Amino acid sequence: MTANEFIKKVFFIEILKGLALTLRHFFTPSVTRQYPTEKREPFPGSRGLHALVRDPETGREKCVGCGLCAAMCPSQCIHIYTSEDDDHKKVVDRYEVEVLRCVYCAFCVEACPYGAIVLTDHFEYSGYSREELYYTKDRLLHNWDKYMANSKGREYLEKFWRPKSEDFGVPAAGHHQAEGKKAT
Amino acid sequence: MENISGKEVDAADSDARLSEKELTLSMGPQHPATHGVLRLVLDLSGETIVKCTPYVGYLHRGVEKLAENRNYMQIIPLTDRLDYIASMANNIGYCVAVEKLFGIKVPERTEYIRTIVGEMARITNHLLWLATHALDIGAMTVFLYCFREREKILDLFERLCGARLTVSYPRIGGLKNDVDDQWLEDLYKFTEEFPGRVEQYETLIDKNRIWLRRTKGVGVISAEDAINWGLSGPALRGSGVSYDIRKISSYGVYDKVKWQVCIGKNGDIYDRYRVRMDEFRESNSIIRQCIEKIPKGPIMADAPKFTLPAKDKVLSDMEHLIHHFVLITKGPQTAPEGELYVATEVPKGELGFFFVSDGTGRPYRMRIRSPSFVHISALPAICEGELVADVIANIGSIDIVLGECDR
Repeated sequence: MTANEFIKKVFFIEILKGLALTLRHFFTPSVTRQYPTEKREPFPGSRGLHALVRDPETGREKCVGCGLCAAMCPSQCIHIYTSEDDDHKKVVDRYEVEVLRCVYCAFCVEACPYGAIVLTDHFEYSGYSREELYYTKDRLLHNWDKYMANSKGREYLEKFWRPKSEDFGVPAAGHHQAEGKKAT
Repeated sequence: MENISGKEVDAADSDARLSEKELTLSMGPQHPATHGVLRLVLDLSGETIVKCTPYVGYLHRGVEKLAENRNYMQIIPLTDRLDYIASMANNIGYCVAVEKLFGIKVPERTEYIRTIVGEMARITNHLLWLATHALDIGAMTVFLYCFREREKILDLFERLCGARLTVSYPRIGGLKNDVDDQWLEDLYKFTEEFPGRVEQYETLIDKNRIWLRRTKGVGVISAEDAINWGLSGPALRGSGVSYDIRKISSYGVYDKVKWQVCIGKNGDIYDRYRVRMDEFRESNSIIRQCIEKIPKGPIMADAPKFTLPAKDKVLSDMEHLIHHFVLITKGPQTAPEGELYVATEVPKGELGFFFVSDGTGRPYRMRIRSPSFVHISALPAICEGELVADVIANIGSIDIVLGECDR
């Protein structure tokens, strides 16, 4: 053992260095948050409670009841019941999400060909019973009004309803192309 | 001689009672230091372990069986829940395997982004490992400091894909969404300060005499044993074996950045700890180089049979809409038949996916080769002959997660 090592051993140098570091942290700003009172804004696109998109033109849900979200859902927590109306059009009678079974993968958003379901950034919901966390169509539409109001929902779909043509590196299918196809 | 109740006993009887007898101790499954629900049955002679028998399966969810009833895309959230500490790495491993099965080549930008997020997952995993391992051995401050940095990466994950832990970010043939420049800039800022933070952890424990006494020369695995037991990842590299799948197989852009495989020498707990500390710096440097080099371009592969079509095309074109329906309800219809095993280097070691494909949209069989399961099988041999207190240090040092072990 050299003299240097001996001094280090006797005077607890490495422990003192560690203590000096922890002491320095007494005087640095705190990084913790006192959660229930101090809340952090969730980031846009954060995957939380579900919402059904309300069509601004009809005021009803945008969903047409094709059932792709239910087919895609890995935990099979979406239940859709449809029927025919007088004009032989499909109407969505019930659209229900078992929130307790959901794994928040947002595959339903990706599977929807109409952009009719979104995941809001609301994450603080809890209940005393399973029924409270069984979201029916009306409650899901209400979520849209509450958490995706104004342009927030549109921005969400713009950004997170993927993939889009730009992700493949090809020009987007705009109205021009659609019209062009009609003409030919 | 009198016993406690004041009754006379003879000396011979008392000797018989004091004689050595093996004690069987059941540790877990509800034990805070077993990193999940691992149950160990320890046969003890005094404080020394004579025999250690691990019991696994408390967290069995049948992921492999569930995968047989889901199409290839739906399995991605299942892989999140294998090694839930570094779910991004599992997702990438799964997607790389499926892409190889389908013969998809992903764009370069995607490869870069996957490398970046994969290395971020490695950092989060090692941070949590260091935090809990130090806490098990008795150093509380490291735990708090590690979580400070882990939180920052998890926030970056949330900004990227909307979830902090179960990310489901990669897709077969691409990614969920592109990264933006602001995100890359913030990540770059993080990588600038991170090596300083690693130094802080080292100040606290690297030379600390209690840490050294608990880790040096404990749980020694020789290089030969490590290979024979099938260990992988830092547990293998700590024994001085230079084996890293990132170097051997070329997924991601690991061949385009400068980095080296970190190896130890003695194969004890301290060397495995050193390997992971060095990997912090290597991962950090890989992320930095990737951010500097990342090209612009598409993020989804040009493989229309296997990837979901673009949403704007779905809205305007009948063929794409039909294709969208078929892919989601039945899965890809042109999957090649055959068997395939693809391994990737996740933070814990070699994560392999073995597929038996019968050409339908769902795997006929999916087998997961998880590093934790193999590491637990080596645990009895590591623990035998050592002290009870070292079992905790050993469990920590081989870095296991029971979600991945039990599947």
